[in-house]
Amino acid sequence: MNTLAEDRNIPGESESLWGKAWYKFRRDRTGMLSLAVVMLFLIIALGVWAGLWGQGWSSVEGSMWAKPSAEHWLGTNIIGQDIFERGIYSTKTAFEVGMVVAILSTILGGLLGALSGFFSNSWADEVILWLMGVLDSIPFYLFVAAIAFALQGFPYSMHIAMIATFWTTTARLVRGEVIKLKNFEFVEAARAIGLPRRLIIFRHIMPNTYHILLVQATIVFVSAIKSEVILSFLGLGVVDGVSWGLMIAESTQEVQAGHYANFLTASILLFALVMAFNMFSDSLQDALDPKKVSA
Amino acid sequence: MEILQYALRKFITGIPLIIGVTLISFLLMVYFGPDKTYELAGKNPTPEQIQEIRHQLGYDKPFVARYLEYMKELVTFDFGYSDSTGERVSSILKRTVPISLALILPGFILGNLLGIALALVAAYHRGRWLDKFIMSGSVVGMSVSFLIVIIAFQILLSSNDGLGWFPVRGWNVYNFWDYLHYVTVPTLATVFVALGYNTRFYRAVIVEEMGRDHVRTAKAFGTPPGELLFKHILKNAMIPIITRIMFSIPMVVISGSLLLESYFGIPGVGLVTYDSITTGDQPILKAVVGITAVLFVIVLILNDIFYKLVDPRVSLK
Repeated sequence: MNTLAEDRNIPGESESLWGKAWYKFRRDRTGMLSLAVVMLFLIIALGVWAGLWGQGWSSVEGSMWAKPSAEHWLGTNIIGQDIFERGIYSTKTAFEVGMVVAILSTILGGLLGALSGFFSNSWADEVILWLMGVLDSIPFYLFVAAIAFALQGFPYSMHIAMIATFWTTTARLVRGEVIKLKNFEFVEAARAIGLPRRLIIFRHIMPNTYHILLVQATIVFVSAIKSEVILSFLGLGVVDGVSWGLMIAESTQEVQAGHYANFLTASILLFALVMAFNMFSDSLQDALDPKKVSA
Repeated sequence: MEILQYALRKFITGIPLIIGVTLISFLLMVYFGPDKTYELAGKNPTPEQIQEIRHQLGYDKPFVARYLEYMKELVTFDFGYSDSTGERVSSILKRTVPISLALILPGFILGNLLGIALALVAAYHRGRWLDKFIMSGSVVGMSVSFLIVIIAFQILLSSNDGLGWFPVRGWNVYNFWDYLHYVTVPTLATVFVALGYNTRFYRAVIVEEMGRDHVRTAKAFGTPPGELLFKHILKNAMIPIITRIMFSIPMVVISGSLLLESYFGIPGVGLVTYDSITTGDQPILKAVVGITAVLFVIVLILNDIFYKLVDPRVSLK
């Protein structure tokens, strides 16, 4: 496998962290496979978003609990809606929740973590640490419910609650890394030539935490999708549209009557996406870890 | 004595945390929360009646006064009466907390013990097929939603389509046999979900300890494997393990049982909390949030004391 010809290719690749990581990631068969599955889900979600498929999720066409047929690929649910269409449409819901929560909570966590790390042991750091401690100690479901109440039926209260609680882990990791980084020579050099603090933080320190942010974003994405399912089931999540959580919620009655199509569709789609994303996240972490010597 | 002093000092530093949690949740749940006036007022209330009810509920008082009242309730552990049933909140908690603990503890303990055991096996066979098998299993376990696990176990073990060995829902526990009967399916579901995360975490911790120089030295000196494992590896791995277990306690008690209890219809704190979320029963919500915050601070303190007990290098000063 590891021939000389292949080894000679390495210097041709970029020598940066990202170049090396991409080189390593491409070699990771599990990683590439999981990325392919995630991309497939993404294409499904984008297709729904663009209106190509999954549009008939709410129309009541078939009879109740119809068997799988050419018209309804996976049968119909308790009120005769097409399960396949609903499962496909829910992919978009899942990506929407995952993306919004992952991106915003990563930005928030990165910014506040960097600030609290750079100004460690100052009052600003104390305040941010206190805020993280507080948000971590409020029971999650209660927090979601409270925000839903306070925002009076605003459809994105679930998203806000998740962003508000998920950024703390990212911020803690970034804070630790920034405390380490700010004592390095390049930061000292930047300070010595008189760069403003704003530039030192955002131009010189922050880019060195991007690999943490990327991995953390994938982890948050998975947690957001999983939380959405449970919250929607409890009636605290997705308000309009349909999601895998809502499908599972409606399937609990059907399951008692012996109809498993709805439950299985939602569960398997959810499982496949979460599993692929977990594996992708693992491979990404391995590829971006500079301590691991590439084979 | 030293430990008591330390605990007190720690508790004082934990007060800002308690204030923060109660302030934010009070702001969200009570100040911006649902307005109960019109539910209690009946049809066509006069402005005087509305005024009267708002006064009874304390809505006309300034924010600070209402918040201080809540703090007083938290300190005296007297949260008044539930809005929906009229029962004393403290007696509701006294009735439901033991049920939740009885429901959640077996799964919590088993999940952690099995996690550590599997992690040891995986770490011992690191890089070989058994390790890979266990770790792929844990990624699968991590990827299944708790909700799906609960429903699937219920179908397989409790429903008529499945084995039908256990009750589908409810909690009629009068003796130990009943208890086993009702607790098995929720426990299996909890263990299944916790195992993936736990095994992964504990394996990482143990692998790191196994790579240390003192372990290699002890091995070279011919220490028997059992002693090596318990004295040189596990003892050092105790700090991250204890931290993880301790910090999951407050969340497991509230969040874990919320889903389990509302799904299985078990009358514990989780179900009471869920019901009070849906009906906006503020006295109960205030009590649950406040007590969780205090529990968190207590866990923080206990955690530091455990560090001291496990690791003599840690000073309590």
